[in-house]
Amino acid sequence: MKDIFKKEIFRVFSDKKMIFSLFILPAVLMFGIYGLMGMLVKGMVSDVEEHVSTVYVQNAPDGFATLAGQNGYADTAEITYLNADASAEKLAGIKDEILAGGVDLFVIFDKEFLAKAGAYTNAGDPIPSVTVFYNSTQNYSSAARGNFNNMILAPLQTSLLQSRFGNLDLLTVFDTKEELIVNEDKANGEFLAMMLPYLITFLLFASAMGLCVDAIAGEKERGTMASMLLSPVKRSSIVFGKLFGLSVLSSLSSIVYAVSMIFAMPMMMGGMEEEAGLPMNISLSPLQMVELLAVMVSLILLYVAALCLVSVFAKNAKEANAYVMPLYMIVLVLGITTMFSAGGSAPSQATYAIPVYGTALSIQGIVTNELSLMQFGCSVLGNIVCTLIIVAAVVKVFNNEKIMLNA
Amino acid sequence: MIEIKNLTKVYKLNKKKMAELKTKETVKRAADNISLVAKPGEIYGLLGPNGAGKTTTLRCVATLLKPTEGSVSVCGFDTVKESEKVRECIGFLTNEIKLDPHFTPKYLFGFFGRLHGLDDATIEKRRKELFEYFDITDFENKKIEELSTGMKQKAAIAVSLVHDPKVVIFDEPTNGLDIITARNVTDLLLKLRDEGKLVIISTHIMSEAEKLCDRVGIIIDGKKVEEGTLDELLAHTGAKDLEDAFFNLYKAHHKEEK
Repeated sequence: MKDIFKKEIFRVFSDKKMIFSLFILPAVLMFGIYGLMGMLVKGMVSDVEEHVSTVYVQNAPDGFATLAGQNGYADTAEITYLNADASAEKLAGIKDEILAGGVDLFVIFDKEFLAKAGAYTNAGDPIPSVTVFYNSTQNYSSAARGNFNNMILAPLQTSLLQSRFGNLDLLTVFDTKEELIVNEDKANGEFLAMMLPYLITFLLFASAMGLCVDAIAGEKERGTMASMLLSPVKRSSIVFGKLFGLSVLSSLSSIVYAVSMIFAMPMMMGGMEEEAGLPMNISLSPLQMVELLAVMVSLILLYVAALCLVSVFAKNAKEANAYVMPLYMIVLVLGITTMFSAGGSAPSQATYAIPVYGTALSIQGIVTNELSLMQFGCSVLGNIVCTLIIVAAVVKVFNNEKIMLNA
Repeated sequence: MIEIKNLTKVYKLNKKKMAELKTKETVKRAADNISLVAKPGEIYGLLGPNGAGKTTTLRCVATLLKPTEGSVSVCGFDTVKESEKVRECIGFLTNEIKLDPHFTPKYLFGFFGRLHGLDDATIEKRRKELFEYFDITDFENKKIEELSTGMKQKAAIAVSLVHDPKVVIFDEPTNGLDIITARNVTDLLLKLRDEGKLVIISTHIMSEAEKLCDRVGIIIDGKKVEEGTLDELLAHTGAKDLEDAFFNLYKAHHKEEK
């Protein structure tokens, strides 16, 4: 078993291409993908913020330009003022431009807006209106509308109310005070708890897939498996040697993925945390790190065993890749399922024993600091029991001449 | 010693195989009640056309296949009940079984030596002997995938003999080899025979069998139809050489089957 284990390790480390694809490429990809995502998010938000809106205002009330200048709105928008006698064609043209993205916002104030607002005394008196045209599918237009509401309409409304009532406190019946009571770890890790289980379960599978297919179906295809079957070694020793070798290699590859992810994630978070306001800080205690490592190792063992079982039925690597696809889909679906269960009702203890899914739940629990020892145990045990059953099946299949030698 | 008693190997055929073989039978008797004994110090040749059952018989001897009926023992061990003991005393070589192209002959020699339980010193001694005999030393550190067909075959033979097996089983040993490498292989088989090993080969090259084999078993359609020394075969069939003898037997038995 030891020699077969060593051979599997040596096979990878004696091949520059394998080293590159297993240990260097994932790191490069992680930094590349996360850096690009961070850059895009940051770029998108900055671009919207820096954009000077093209705004048309018809019947602007007196003092509009002064208000826009005072609170800085004039710096964010290039305002074109229109009179009440602007032609219908002109107005239709502006609306068309909003649709096309050439104009961001069009605001029409009622004629004699301030006079009408000031004349209001009794219920039923006419209220002047402001009509705002914008395109919700255009980021610039949505941002222009938000800025206009916050920087022009809200202060204008406050000012008019002040003139009408004198004391604005008359309009306030009660104050609402909200105090947040929250587990900080959970609050900070909520976003990661949604993403990490999916990413980890998926990446571990991805790193084990190519290795296992080549080590089993590839060896069958090349005729090199039979030479090992001819040695005076028990079939179970061959299976265990291969499984442990592949598990170690998959683990190393996963570590590369994980370390790259840890270092590359701030590049993405830089965009999301600062610009989109998503909390991303997590700190794991040594116990949590051990738990995370344990669930990941148990998952790798399960993946390697399952992939070996599927590959052993294939006559060649191409066939094995086709057989592996359903497994791949299952892993994807299970990972995604946990993304949507975050924040819902707590899953039962037994749910944690479901292979892969339970692991994803455990990773979620570790990140939000909610995983109990029992849940952790169920998760690891579930994977190990499942792995042992699959390994027994692999050993049985290794003794089957029809499958191993296509006899 | 190899002792085959009433060996029968039956394969179930799926529809695809039935179509390939153009048969309506749902099973194929690849080996049909074959019995033979081969002793140390002789080269025993299994002769037959393609698909006759030679490889199946040798695979049963090498423990890769389990007999459907009958039994095979090698060096006194049953190939089903004591398969690991059998594999300890055989060296098996066939075109279908190859060395991993990602490794060097030197690494694979050591790897298989360790699988056979040899210590490093013994492996090194055997490596020097066999690599020198086959002129492998020059390319011992090149990956198998970089070697020519002849070099690969030499490396495969050396690796199959790493543990100095008592029984050497070569399935069509010179198939696809150039004349020089083929000569190297046949010389080696004679050398092994002279060292007291039991060598069993399968071939459909009559001149090779004539030159190498002390005794020959002729297999046609899964059945052993004749066995003996070259002289005995010629006497039984009244033929002038092995090729004629084989052809006469083939016509008689293959026709008989139909």
